[in-house]
Amino acid sequence: MRDAFSEALVRLAKADPNVLLLTGDHGYALFDEFRKECPAQYINAGIAEQNMVGMAAGLARIGFRPFVYGLSAFVPVRVVEQIKLDVAHDQLPVVFIGDGAGFVYSHLGTSHQSTEDIACTRAIPNLSVFSPADRFEVKACMELAYQSKSAVYLRMGKSDRGDVHSALDQPKIGELLEARSGTNGDVAFIATGALVRTALNIASELYPDSAVWSVPFIKPVDSEQVVNICRKVKALVVFEEHSILGGLGSMIAEIASEHAPVRILRVGVRDRFSHYCGTYEYLLKEHGLDRASIEKDIRAFLPAN
Amino acid sequence: MNSTPRAFDAKALRKTVLDMAYAGSTVHIGCAFSIIELLAVLYRSHLRYPGNDPLAQGRDYLVLSKGHGVMAQYACMRELGWLKDEAFSGYFADGSDLKGLSDSRIPGLEVTSGSLGHGFSVGVGLAKGASLRGADQKVYALVGDGEINEGPVWEGALFAAHHCLNNFMVIVDENGYQAMGRTADVLGLGSVQSKFESFGFEALTVDGHDEMAINDAINRLWESPSASPKALVARTVKGKGVPFMENNNIWHYTRLDAETYARALSAVAGSE
Repeated sequence: MRDAFSEALVRLAKADPNVLLLTGDHGYALFDEFRKECPAQYINAGIAEQNMVGMAAGLARIGFRPFVYGLSAFVPVRVVEQIKLDVAHDQLPVVFIGDGAGFVYSHLGTSHQSTEDIACTRAIPNLSVFSPADRFEVKACMELAYQSKSAVYLRMGKSDRGDVHSALDQPKIGELLEARSGTNGDVAFIATGALVRTALNIASELYPDSAVWSVPFIKPVDSEQVVNICRKVKALVVFEEHSILGGLGSMIAEIASEHAPVRILRVGVRDRFSHYCGTYEYLLKEHGLDRASIEKDIRAFLPAN
Repeated sequence: MNSTPRAFDAKALRKTVLDMAYAGSTVHIGCAFSIIELLAVLYRSHLRYPGNDPLAQGRDYLVLSKGHGVMAQYACMRELGWLKDEAFSGYFADGSDLKGLSDSRIPGLEVTSGSLGHGFSVGVGLAKGASLRGADQKVYALVGDGEINEGPVWEGALFAAHHCLNNFMVIVDENGYQAMGRTADVLGLGSVQSKFESFGFEALTVDGHDEMAINDAINRLWESPSASPKALVARTVKGKGVPFMENNNIWHYTRLDAETYARALSAVAGSE
């Protein structure tokens, strides 16, 4: 998935000399290819994210197409105001890449963990929020972010959980992607990022008739499609490696409550920071986001047959 | 260069600010009055807008990072014909678009500021962009001395010097006051010129109300062959031109009534 990201960025930069990569001194090996292929389009802005985002706004104003890279805990969370005021307010075409979202930095603690970023960015007007799940979605998101000529936050979470699609035609911005088709009207799964894999695993083993939808576009989203999904089922389970406040689960619940009320279980981080450190799998377990905990929550949520 | 020379007379600009502040019953008069001469010199002799178009490709950029001084910029934009008289008489009317702080959706205002410490970085980005293009465009970022409490200013200063952005000039409106009092009492800055010099800028300090001195200093900084970004520290007086406003921070917050408006107008008319 990270290779797909790097390839997409290099491809865009080679095709358009106005594409610039700005990094806040992150991405050590990730940008080797970019630095080799497009050295004049690479700017290490130093450990100075606020200035980096303001500069990206200036560069966009004068005609460049900046891609601003940082860890998700810093870009966008540390620089929310710069994104709002310097970039989104004036509809400037700057793409923000927040890497390592969720619990990727499981051993490093709260400073590097990022489970508030979607909530922070969703409420900013003129800013799209993308959250790809695999290499196909990353490629599509990068392409669409560039083509949209607008401000986009692209969230990259745990990247080595395997593909959720076997192939992907170029989707439309806002489209929910069917990662697994289903026939069951009892429950459908909607997930984003790294937890699409978890949703697929649970569905294929325990709920074989349930559809799994991947949501690479948190905002804007095709709400009509969400409504159609809600109308076909008695219950939904929404998965995200993000707070249950303000993220994908909130977004689905907002649409459902207005247009197609349905019971929704929001699987995500329950408004808490990590207490302990450990492997990624350990951290998921601490937050009740490992498979066993989620399966238990789903059993408790769904009415017994 | 602008095709028609315009006066940018400081007295007239101050009168425009008073008229609009009174019409809109608004604040921040003191912050506008400290930068009148700086803006007059920039618009008269330095900023290049091909075809007098505030959105012209290849123009120079004036980034008003201290958005609180925006009335002074509106007054200059009126002289350029970019703003209509009605915008001034109807300042702050419901549904009007000139706000109390800089909003970049108005042609001529390059940034949306007021939250401090933003415009400097945007200006550095513009300067970096012009430099990448090899374009002969200059970027001025006008900041307040209170504003440079903000960290991103110094992040941007490091970047501008490291990348040899000698097309970038920060102008510091050193009026000695910020919202709650004297800068020296709130968060002392020491020597602003030395600070920018230590960050790699070529810096000069001038009397920010002496138009000849300002103009000479800007010319000297641009004429220097060095690769350093430039800093002009302008010693100014908050509320300059109206004795009862000068160095009186209450005029950061106070609105004019009929009596203070009349007194201020006559002070401005008589001021040198």
